[in-house]
Amino acid sequence: MSTSILTSPAETSSPGQRDADDVRLTFPRVVRSEWIKFRTLRSTIWTLAITLVLMVGIVTLYSAILASQAGAAESTSADGGSVAVFMIAAGIAQLAVTVLGVLVITGEYTTGMIRSTLAAVPQRLPALWAKGVVLATSIFVVSTVAVGISLIVMQLFLGADRLAPNLGDAETVRILVGTSLYLTAIALFAFAIGAILRHSAGALATVLGLLLVIENLFLIPWKPLQVLSPFLPGTAGFKIMTPQVQIDAMSQGAVGAVLGPWQGFAVLLAWVAVLLTAAAVLLRRRNA
Amino acid sequence: MIEAHGLTKHYGSKTAVDDITFTVHPGKVTGFLGPNGAGKSTTMRMIVGLDRPTRGTVVVNGRRYAQHRAPLREVGALLDAKAFHTGRSAYNHLFAMGATHGIGKARVREVIEMTGLESVAKKRVGGFSLGMGQRLGIASALLGNPHTLILDEPVNGLDPEGVLWVRNLVRYLANEGRTVFLSSHLMSEMALTADHIIVLGRGRILADAPVADIVGRSGGTTVRVCSPQATRLVELLAGPGVGIASTAPQWLEVTGSTAQAIGEAAAAAQIVLHELTPVTGSLEAAYMALTQDSVEYRSTTSGLHRDPNRDPKDSDGAAGPDVALASTEGPIR
Repeated sequence: MSTSILTSPAETSSPGQRDADDVRLTFPRVVRSEWIKFRTLRSTIWTLAITLVLMVGIVTLYSAILASQAGAAESTSADGGSVAVFMIAAGIAQLAVTVLGVLVITGEYTTGMIRSTLAAVPQRLPALWAKGVVLATSIFVVSTVAVGISLIVMQLFLGADRLAPNLGDAETVRILVGTSLYLTAIALFAFAIGAILRHSAGALATVLGLLLVIENLFLIPWKPLQVLSPFLPGTAGFKIMTPQVQIDAMSQGAVGAVLGPWQGFAVLLAWVAVLLTAAAVLLRRRNA
Repeated sequence: MIEAHGLTKHYGSKTAVDDITFTVHPGKVTGFLGPNGAGKSTTMRMIVGLDRPTRGTVVVNGRRYAQHRAPLREVGALLDAKAFHTGRSAYNHLFAMGATHGIGKARVREVIEMTGLESVAKKRVGGFSLGMGQRLGIASALLGNPHTLILDEPVNGLDPEGVLWVRNLVRYLANEGRTVFLSSHLMSEMALTADHIIVLGRGRILADAPVADIVGRSGGTTVRVCSPQATRLVELLAGPGVGIASTAPQWLEVTGSTAQAIGEAAAAAQIVLHELTPVTGSLEAAYMALTQDSVEYRSTTSGLHRDPNRDPKDSDGAAGPDVALASTEGPIR
């Protein structure tokens, strides 16, 4: 072993001489490094697979039930068409993507990996942004694939009855793209909270508690809660997947503001931006 | 070359590193010695920017670590054997780390081979022993073929063959002209490996000198004494600049005095001596003497005067560890 050091060609360059090769830190390389890290963990692969299976599974179940029902056309059109199922699918799939968003960063803190990461990228922020880019891209791609497979499934079950989503319809396209956008944004939201709390259990409890418990508590008919409710991250973000007929129905007798699809999504993005900024400031300041 | 100026780190109200200034030169192995909690790891973490200094600066080859274009080419650091994701394989860990600097698979395989990790490289790090973790940490440190190496306790958990390998590796890297900064609490290991030593105690630098100087400086001043009246002898010898530790009942180790002075003092007081031996200088003794001087002497005397009425001839065991000077933090070996 010790002899292999002495004969290693890479060790022969003297430290004084400046290196002719292109070994240096660049942002695209940090992104590549984060991508290698992302895909070389089993938990990542599993969570993305679960996301895909959950979405396609829910859509398949829904389509099968719908296809077997008489008078399905009337009941779905009241909801805004069969495309409304993507709200349900995203509502379940968000559990998987938020877990992934949290673990991508807290996994490094709980194992100690973060010290290697920050020693290699001592400016720190490029590592945070690169992680965000890899996470967002992966989730957008996987959820888009899931939406694509789901559409094929719906065509198979519902095409004959003309109940499958119509891609020529602008609102349908908004909902389909919105599903991928929502899952991507909510994963970044979870990622930012993970980066702030640096602890897997704490961050998961915070994110899931907020999305599944706190946001539902705000539905209690008490005015101050109802005024704030539309601006909570999950509630606001969901608007991008909500058919207009449902938004209109909700606006009847609404106490607080009624956000449109893109307004709602913008509110979610604002949450993400604020939390990521806080995460960045803390990352720069704290000891690793 | 690592240069620290007035480096200070507080954690809350606790001062881990207290205004230290030192330079680590290229071409030699510089050892960083100190007891646990002396601030060695904190100092090393500040060099690579993992901890923010409260005050002061530390630069590597003239720049702060984070300002280098290729940090991994500048400094390779092993700061602990657990800076890995347990779910990722050693190979993928190194591959991902190298990717940040455009370091390819060929170099990854090279450092795996160098550190003897071939057989476990594709296994997940979670199952690694401490020794394998150290080897992976050293592989990570070597990845960028860096000009400066910072290794915190690199031989921890290594088998004798691994210890020898690390020793040869750091000597080889220093001979190539690289800067090697190595911490350890194993004094004997440091004596064999380092050219120059910085001793840290309670966040302050106690010594910064070539190994030979440190060993030589206190080499003649440690004297081993065996006496049935050890307690009386302690009272007799105690004074400024003299450190006394009781190693066993009747046995004392005296620093800051000479065999001649002790023998004459004992004869004058009619104290029986069974042994009076000047101990050959070793780094370990020097290190003990250094840390003793700065921290222990005060507790030594207070320990002595704690019970002034005690009859020194009371019993043979009176000078046992319970009366030992420096009983709280003393280097009782």
